[in-house]
Parts: sequence; structure tokens; C-alpha cells
Amino acid sequence: MKYLHYILRNARRNPVRTTLTIASTAICLFLMLLLLAFFAVNDQVTSSVGVYNRVCTLNANGFAGRIPVTALEPVRALDGVVAVTPFSWLGAKYQEEVLPFAQFGVDADTVFTILDEFTIPSDQLAAFKESRDGCVIGRKLADERRLKLGDPMPLKRDLYPVDLNLKIVGIYDGPTNRDLRMCLFHWKYLDEELKRVATALLGKGSEDRLAGNVGMIYVKCNSSQAMAGLCARVDELFRNSEYPTRTQTEEAFGKMFAEMLGDLRGMIRAIGLAVVFSLLCVAGNAMAMAMRERTTEVAVLKAIGFRRGLILALVLTESVLVSGAGGVIGALGCKAFCDVVDLSRYSAGFLPFFYVPWPIALLGMAVALGIGLVSGLYPAVRAANSSVIDGLRKVI
Amino acid sequence: MIPLKYNVRNLRVRWKTTLMTVLGTGLVVWSSCILFGLVEGLEHSLKVSGDPLDLIILRKGSSSETTGGFITATADEILNLSGIARDASGQALAAKELLNIPIATRTDGSTTNIIIRGVQPASRGLRPDFKIVAGRDFELGKGECIVSRSLSRRFRGAEIGGLLYFGEKEQYRVVGLFTAGGSAAESEVWCDLKDLEHNTGRDGSVSCVQLRAASSPDYNRLQQTLNDDPRFKLAAIPESVYFESQSRSSLFLKAAGTMIAILLTLGAMFSAANTMFAAVSARTREIGTMRAIGFSQFDILISFMGESLILCLMGGALGLLATIPLNALTYETSNLSNFASVSVSFRFGPLVAGVAIAMTLAMGLFGGMFPALRAVRLDVISALREL
Amino acid sequence: MQGIPSIQLRGVDKDYRRDEFTIPVLVGLDLTVPEGEFLALMGPSGSGKTTLLNLIAGLDRATSGEVLVHGQDLGLLSESEITRWRADNVGFIFQTYNLIPVLTAFENVELPLLLTKLSKRTRRQNVATALKIVGLEGREHHYPRQLSGGQEQRVAIARAIVTDPYLLVADEPTGDLDRGTATEILELLEQLNREFQKTIVMVTHDPLAAERASRILHLDKGRLVDDILQGARVSAASAS
Repeated sequence: MKYLHYILRNARRNPVRTTLTIASTAICLFLMLLLLAFFAVNDQVTSSVGVYNRVCTLNANGFAGRIPVTALEPVRALDGVVAVTPFSWLGAKYQEEVLPFAQFGVDADTVFTILDEFTIPSDQLAAFKESRDGCVIGRKLADERRLKLGDPMPLKRDLYPVDLNLKIVGIYDGPTNRDLRMCLFHWKYLDEELKRVATALLGKGSEDRLAGNVGMIYVKCNSSQAMAGLCARVDELFRNSEYPTRTQTEEAFGKMFAEMLGDLRGMIRAIGLAVVFSLLCVAGNAMAMAMRERTTEVAVLKAIGFRRGLILALVLTESVLVSGAGGVIGALGCKAFCDVVDLSRYSAGFLPFFYVPWPIALLGMAVALGIGLVSGLYPAVRAANSSVIDGLRKVI
Repeated sequence: MIPLKYNVRNLRVRWKTTLMTVLGTGLVVWSSCILFGLVEGLEHSLKVSGDPLDLIILRKGSSSETTGGFITATADEILNLSGIARDASGQALAAKELLNIPIATRTDGSTTNIIIRGVQPASRGLRPDFKIVAGRDFELGKGECIVSRSLSRRFRGAEIGGLLYFGEKEQYRVVGLFTAGGSAAESEVWCDLKDLEHNTGRDGSVSCVQLRAASSPDYNRLQQTLNDDPRFKLAAIPESVYFESQSRSSLFLKAAGTMIAILLTLGAMFSAANTMFAAVSARTREIGTMRAIGFSQFDILISFMGESLILCLMGGALGLLATIPLNALTYETSNLSNFASVSVSFRFGPLVAGVAIAMTLAMGLFGGMFPALRAVRLDVISALREL
Repeated sequence: MQGIPSIQLRGVDKDYRRDEFTIPVLVGLDLTVPEGEFLALMGPSGSGKTTLLNLIAGLDRATSGEVLVHGQDLGLLSESEITRWRADNVGFIFQTYNLIPVLTAFENVELPLLLTKLSKRTRRQNVATALKIVGLEGREHHYPRQLSGGQEQRVAIARAIVTDPYLLVADEPTGDLDRGTATEILELLEQLNREFQKTIVMVTHDPLAAERASRILHLDKGRLVDDILQGARVSAASAS
């Protein structure tokens, strides 16, 4: 510890260089943490929904397939089912914004029984149930876009050939790790509009071409043990129908979304690795330059009796301190930044929240310290093994 | 002006520092180039169209093939319109196509949505450079399919002779692999339109019709008829416009890539500045001597800025060169508009080169500026006295 | 203790290898320095005087022959042992002072004490004593750049004596100083030799500096060419 003073003085000796090195490390770590946190949050979102005992039924052909509204009733009748709701992804534009936030057509009577982690004042829920074109939005969405009860919520056609002019009748709240930016509206309203459009466009009797599809069925089970069996029984129901289904737990469903990223994960990891190597070069170079300027001093220290190991330790500590400072700034800075700026609002509902988890922040700092250690090694060994005579001669 | 030779020699003398800086900046340029090469590949796949006279016909108001279906009867009427181009064998270049997005399993066991497209013979001529590169084309009505070469490596059962199993009723025997000039079709599985209609129970509707007009006037007339004629009331969208609207899936990558590139450039800029500051302080006496000899402050500024540029150019060149082996690189991810798998090949193009040049210049100029200014401001007398 | 050999060199050769050439720097050198002697080494550039100093100080090793300091054969010590030995037995004074620019005068002097197990308190006392001996009380918290050349050299001398070493080696200690300041520094060295019985070996170009020593050795091309014992000084040293 008695050397710390000297080490710190050395680190501050060339403030420009130290600042640049720290800044360089901090920026690159900031970036790395953003990328790592993205994956971590993605995984967390997926695994956090296991406790709600819900399963999702899709057409076996995925999002392009249909699930007729008539499928709801037999599922509701199954043993272990608490409630069911359609969950139709509307994917409409809001004020010309593509993918602004998630919008789902639901059954107002059951949706908050199923999504029971969400809370909504009972009068608002009652108003939602009674309305035809009413919708309920999440608190974050309301806050961010300054929306309040009674405001219009116009959703322009994109996936479906209808415009929905909704009215906000309720605002729900819930745990911060859930999507508080959804817009939930009556599936029936969407279906009626679709029927109207189909009749107008294709003539009477062609309503089925557009309407009657619920997209996805959200099912609440009475226990976690019941879920696996229920998935199989739902699929069994429709096995030989026109619309075979694929039923998964909500967790598995989310995992599928996460897996969609595919090779992007590996790619981002590779870039993270390249950044670490680049930082090794940057930090190593800075330390080597610093030691080159101190050749004589090292020689003096050795002359007056500083052993090799001690010199090695002094240089390594300095290097670790500088990189570590960059790590602390980059990692904590990234964490603080994400706490203040909620990046998830720009993700169109794919990430209900975004933050840098502590393990990731700590990993970032560990990487920084590792970079300090590895990059300091060469200059430290060089300094430790340098010749006293040559170092002293350089002065004269 | 101080000859550049002087700077080059200096870079060579402190070759270790030079090497480290070049490696550091090179890696940074390299990783940004990879990202933008992928963005470029993605955009390229959305840009390469068969012909400027190609039209995609969708239901009005729909923005994507996967959601844009209409009834077959209408589609058949389109195929009979006049003004459609014909290929060498006299066949009309117009095809009904149907898309389905089943779940497929990757070779690593994870799952994703994949596009299977039911096509008609003319579909092939509507894609740029459509080629069967292995095996053979599928035969009609036999439950066979062909798979793009880049997909076949990544999915279970997608190799020639394999069976793509999407459900009890939906299974296809893979008989061949194709390429299509890097276009969007290279993310798809193709099978017979009738097979797909039958297997998915979607007889009577199509996702889209694709056609090529015989001439520019025909093109305009066709577009007008399809859009406005009460028989159709569809959206006839030029292929290029359609794909442009699909490029939102590249926005995410582009935004991420831009953010990464900017942050990395800043990081590397600091590193270059570090190297140059050290160079200036190590050569204080030389600078004093040069000033004494009669070189102007401007000469010194240019000399050090030039040295910094040379340094970063080497890094940039290294980063760019290191992307050469990546030309064979493809990656698979999902399209944000229909959540279906897309395969993208790394592509070296103007975007990549532009990014590399911009990064290099930014690093070299901004990284070199402050050290060069320090060199300029040195007092001649005390610089000469410096040890 | 008068007369006991403090430094003994027997048949010392020192060669330097530059590429394929071998350059002899010291040739067959024999030398005995009694304890408490103030020895000046003189000679033209390249005569081997700094090399001889380095051998005595344990910074360098002889190619052949024996170097004994205070009865210890330096050739027998390992690298880490000789480093340890230097810390305990030798104080260094350089022409360019070689203070650590980022440390204050006090911290510079304290540096060698960090290598000992002394408590912070004792270290502080020892530093204060050393600074007092060199006449720099009140300058403890100045950085080297805030001191004059003579003051810097005094700090360097304080650093050299703070561990109470047996031997002081000085390489051109007055080379960078003006005449007046040089005299002060030389008087300080004399005082250390006289009052604290430090054996001092000093390399110098300056005949006036050499005058202060009790004995002057002249080297040329690696050989001892002249050995002048300055009577008055010897008796002065033996008297105390």
C-alpha cells in the first residue's frame, strides 16, 4: 500500500495520455455493455414469464397461419383452464410511425384475469368492457406520449386493411419487467370492421376471408404443473382440423422470439471480442509509451534497490488502475445512462424494459481490469528486465 | 513542406507503437466494416430486382406479401391482362405466389420462422440470375421443394434428399438448391403453388402476383388498371419500391451499426491521439531544430497531421483488407416486418468503403489535430534546450 | 577500524560486447580502498571510470576477477541478492540528480525507505534527519522542478544517505552545477565522509572536485595509470 501513492502519481503524470486511455476504454466498454445487456435483458424477459402459468396457441404454421375464433370455446372448456382470450397482433401505424408499440385485439372480459400481473382501476376496466371502440394502454406509453383517458388512439392500417379509431378508456400498470407500453382493444371491434371491409370489397358471404381469425390464443392455467399437459391437449384438439395448432408455454414462446435473432448474437459477440482486443492494443500501447519515457527512472529505482518483482508489480498496478478507471466509468456510466434513458421505448414492444444488470456491469469492470493486467504485462516485464546500466547511461 | 519520407521513417523507427496503433484502429474499422457489410448485404438483397418493369401486386393497404393476400380468381384475371412480357419460350412472365411462414428448426436446435413460397414456373424468370446450383428443380404436384443454398446449411432437413417437416400435412422433400443473385429469394424455400395451397388449406387465395411488363407504356397502363379498375382495386407496386419499404428490417442493424461505429471511432481516435502526443513529445527537439532551420508552424502542423493520417490509413487499410475473407460470410436472422428468417451475405460495397474511409479520416484528423497543435505551439528556444 | 579494506578488486577485467566486437573496458585492475576513504576516479571519456564505479556499486558484474565490498564477494550474489545488497549498503548520487519528478523532495528521499520494514513514523523521522543533514529543512514539499540544481542534488544526496548505507557512489555529482554550488555539494560530501565515516567513490572530470578527495585514481584505457594519496586528507580522515 505504501507504493500506491507513487503509482497514482505516475498514473497522473501525463494527464492527457491517461485521460485519453481512460476515455477510450470507457467508451468501448460502454458500447460492449449495451450489447451484452441487450442479450441479457432479452433472456430475462423470456424467463421471467414462467410464473404466470400461461400458454400460447398459434397456428402450427406460425404467424402466417390462422386460428379461427371458434377455436376459443373448446380450449376454454378444457380441464385446468382458467380463462382464454384472443391476442391478435394488429401491427398498425400510429401517426405514420411503423411499429410504434404493440397493439393487441383481446377479450376485454378475460384479458386482465389472464394478464393478472397488471392492475387497472375497476371503473376503468368496467368502462373498457362496456365500450366498443375503447382501448386500454400501459402506463409507460401514457406517460411517454402524454396520453390520458378520453384521448383518441387512431391506428392506421398496415397488416390488416382497416383503420381503427380507438378511444383510451383505461390505463393499466404493472411490474416494471412487463410491457407497460401495450395498447389493448376489443378483438370483436377489429373483427366487425374486417367483416365490413370484406363485404364492401369482396361482396356478401366473403367475410371469412378477412375476419374470424384471432391470431393467437392466450390461455391462463390453474397451475404450473398443468401447463405441459394442457399444451398437448390443446394441440390434440385441432390435430385433424383445418387449422392444426402449436401450443407452447409463454416462456417457450418468448424463447422463440429470442432465437429469431439467429446469428446476430454470435456476430455481436465477435464484435465485442474485437473491441476487447483493440482495447488491449490501445492500453498496452499507452503503458508502453509511458514506460519508455521512464526508462531512466526505472533504472534509478533498481539502482537504489527496487527488486524486479516490485517494479513489475508497480507497472502492472498502474496499468490495471488506468484501465480499471475506464472500466468503472464505462460500466457504471452505461448502467446509469440506461437507468436514466429508457432505451426500451424505442424497441416497439420487443423489450418491455432495458437496463444493465449488475452481473453485466461487473463483468464489464472485470474485462477492464483484465485488459489492464494483460496490456500492462509486456511493458511491466520489459521494465523489470531492463538494464540498470543502459537506463542510467541514457541520461548522460 | 517537410517531406512525408520523414514521417514514414519516424513511424518505422517506433514500429512497435505504430504496429499497436495500426492493430487497434484496424480492429475497430474491421468490426464496423463487418456490420455495415451485413447491412449492405441486407440492403442489396432488397434492392436487386429482376427488372425495372417488374410489379408486385398486393391487396390495397397491405405493406407486405405475407399479409397481402387476395382471391385467386382476381389473380387469374391479372395473368390474362395484355402488356405482360414473355420469355424466350413465349411464356408470360407473371406468376401467382403464395407465402407461408412455418416454424423450422436450425441445425443447432433453435427454432425460427421460415418463408416457404409456392411458385409458378414463371416465378423463376422474375428473379435475377435464378439458378439451380445443386440437385434439380422440383416437379409439380409431388410435394418437392428447392431450398436456397445459404438456407440449406442452416436448417435441419434442408439438405438435398432431406425432408422439411412443418407439420403432419406439410412436409416437403428437398430436391435441389438454388441461388438468385443475392436477392431476397435466397432466404426462402420454394415449392409448387398447388402443393402449398393444398397443404395449408388456403386454396383460392394468393399472397401476391408478380409480373414483368413488356414495355414502359405497358408498365404504366398495367399499374393504372390494377390500382384503379374496379375489377381489381389492388396495389401494383414497383418491385424496387416494395423492397424499399421492406428495408425497415435493416434499420435496426443500421442504427446499431452506426452507434457502434461512432463509439468505436471515438475510442480509436483517442488511441491515435495518444500515439501522436507521444510522437510529438519524443521529437520536441527535432521540432525545435526544424523551426530553427526555417520550417514554418504550418509546415509542422501539416507534417504531424499527415503522420497521424498515414498511421490511421494503415489501420483503415488493414481493417478493410481483413474483410476480404468475409466475402463468403452469411448470417441468418429475422426480418422485423414478418418475423421470418432472412439470410444475408456479407457484401463489400460503397457503404463499407465509405464507413471505413470516414472512420479513418475522423481518427486521423481529429486524433492528430491536438498533438499537431501542441507541436506547433512549442517554443523554439526551449524546444532546442529539451533533452 | 582504520585500514580494513572496504573495497577490494583483484584482477578485474570488464569487456563489453557490441555485435561481434569485444571491447575491453577494464584490464587486470587491482585496487584496495580502506574504509572511510574518499576516492576520486578521474580519466578521459571512455577510460572506464564509470564502469569501475558500477562494478563497485553492484550495478554491473566483472567479466573476470573479484570485486569485494565490505568483505562481500559481489560475484557470488544473485540478481535479487545484489539488488537487496545495494538497498542496504549503497547510496547513489548522479550527475543529473535523477529525482522522480512526480514526487516531492520528502517523497523522493523516502523512496529507498519504502523497501525497508520501518514504520511510517520512523521513515518520516529518518527522512527529516537526512534532509536536515543536507540542509534542506523546509523544502520537503517542493517538487524537483521547483528546486534549483544544487537543491535537487542535495535531495538526491539525502536520498542516498537516508538508509545509512556503508558506501556512497557519485557519478559526476557536480557536472551540471555552477562553481559555487559545486563547492557546496563537495563540502557536503566531505562532511559526510568526515563526520559519518562514509566511504565515498566519486567519478569526476573536474580537478577541483578531485582535490577534495583523500585519494585520486587516474584511469586510461581501462588501466590504473596514477594513484595519488593526498596526505593531508588521509590524516584528516584518520584523525576523526
